[in-house]
Amino acid sequence: MADELIDRLDGAIDAVVARRDATVALRDPELAPLVRIAADLRHYPSADFKTRLRAQLARRLTMSTAVLTNIREGFTAVTPYLWVPDRGLSDFLIRVFDAVETRVAEGGRHGTHRELRLGNSMLMLSEGPRSEIVSGRSMALHVFVDDVDAVYAKALAAGAESLGEPADRPYGERAGFIKDAFGNHWYIASPLGPESLGHALRTVTPFLHSRDVRGYIDFLVRAFGASEEVVHKLPGGVIPYARARVGDAAIELGTADPMPGALCLYVADPDMVYEQAIAAGAKALSPAVDQPSGVRMAFVEDALGNQWYITRPARR
Amino acid sequence: MIDGPPPGAATRNVTASNEDERALIEAAQADPARFLEVYDRYIDRVFAYVSRRAGSRTVAEDITSEVFQQALSNLPRFEWRGVPFTAWLYRMAANAVADHWRRQGRESQEAPPDLPDERMHEELERRISLFQLVERLPDLQRRVIEMRFVEEKSVRDVAATLDRTEGAVKQLQLRALENLRKGMGLHG
Repeated sequence: MADELIDRLDGAIDAVVARRDATVALRDPELAPLVRIAADLRHYPSADFKTRLRAQLARRLTMSTAVLTNIREGFTAVTPYLWVPDRGLSDFLIRVFDAVETRVAEGGRHGTHRELRLGNSMLMLSEGPRSEIVSGRSMALHVFVDDVDAVYAKALAAGAESLGEPADRPYGERAGFIKDAFGNHWYIASPLGPESLGHALRTVTPFLHSRDVRGYIDFLVRAFGASEEVVHKLPGGVIPYARARVGDAAIELGTADPMPGALCLYVADPDMVYEQAIAAGAKALSPAVDQPSGVRMAFVEDALGNQWYITRPARR
Repeated sequence: MIDGPPPGAATRNVTASNEDERALIEAAQADPARFLEVYDRYIDRVFAYVSRRAGSRTVAEDITSEVFQQALSNLPRFEWRGVPFTAWLYRMAANAVADHWRRQGRESQEAPPDLPDERMHEELERRISLFQLVERLPDLQRRVIEMRFVEEKSVRDVAATLDRTEGAVKQLQLRALENLRKGMGLHG
């Protein structure tokens, strides 16, 4: 009798596993409760599967917040991206800052892509029509040179407009300020003395303006895992200067009307960083999409109007 | 007189469980590394839900993976609006199942896919209790259950793997199911 039950149950289990009709077994009062359990067990997750998926998620978690460094020589986690109508800016940078063009890709949908090395930093330029998704505007950049006065003079000779003559500044720099023909501001500086902030910076650092520097640093921390490095606060609470770091890249901040630009941010997981940025208050421009070049990019715009190209480099 | 729970105890448990759930989700939003705790807590539920709608175990595993990858991406944007977190997960799972069938060129007969109603919630919770019982079975019985239902092996193959007779495997299978039925009886 017991043997018979064992065999009937086994037949019913075969039917359940094969998703065949098991109604006969379900009508059998002795078998039915066991067959119902068996039917539920068909949905029992495999331990191997659970372990495998957990490991995949854990791996993604360690990668997801990772901002990438050493993408290519000279590139840091954040690289300024300037949009200009023609090659005038590239010529200007070569003439004034002795920039070296390291890459030119012509004939793209949005014109020519150029990469230039200034000292130990990289800049990216897009010349030509603007993308329907993104449209960087002119921005402010802090650039360190050996001879501020000479570079400032070269800039004016190349058509730049002066925003401030070279002078020794109280914050430990000799600095002169200019605006190029495309509206970008260049804070040309060299460190004065061993305490100068300039020693912590590479040749070029994006300088972002905000009326709420504190709030913007909080955004960088939440969206991109930035760390706060320096915050100078005046007695009234105004922050004339602050600096945050995203991976190996510095971002400087000052209290002024926003002058938004575009920044390329290299990350391991653009999908997740895109969501983090939106959760931190950024506006969605485009979720992550694989580009023909092999990179995967998502686009957001922060509250200052800066556009962030959240990029995973092409796999090699 | 049989001691029962004091009036309102069930409600308080549900509330405590919701608060607990909310604390976990908020912790994972603040510290993404804690997402693995979210995964551990909900993987069986999501799999059980998806599995009911997927045509095969492989498809159910693919869809479940997709749901947790999406949940990880989208968790920063999850907002607590008084509905349980599971409703958000089930919504993603329902969409992923529908997408799967669309990709297969087979519109779901009952599109949009069903979200768990109260009855299905009970069914899912019953299954979760069952899965927990499986994990507490004696080792040999649990292995037979896994091989028969997860790996979908025949009794002959299970017997060969465990180096037992087919009769012994059928016996273990029966005992395992009886143990589970008794356990489920205790779960009410």
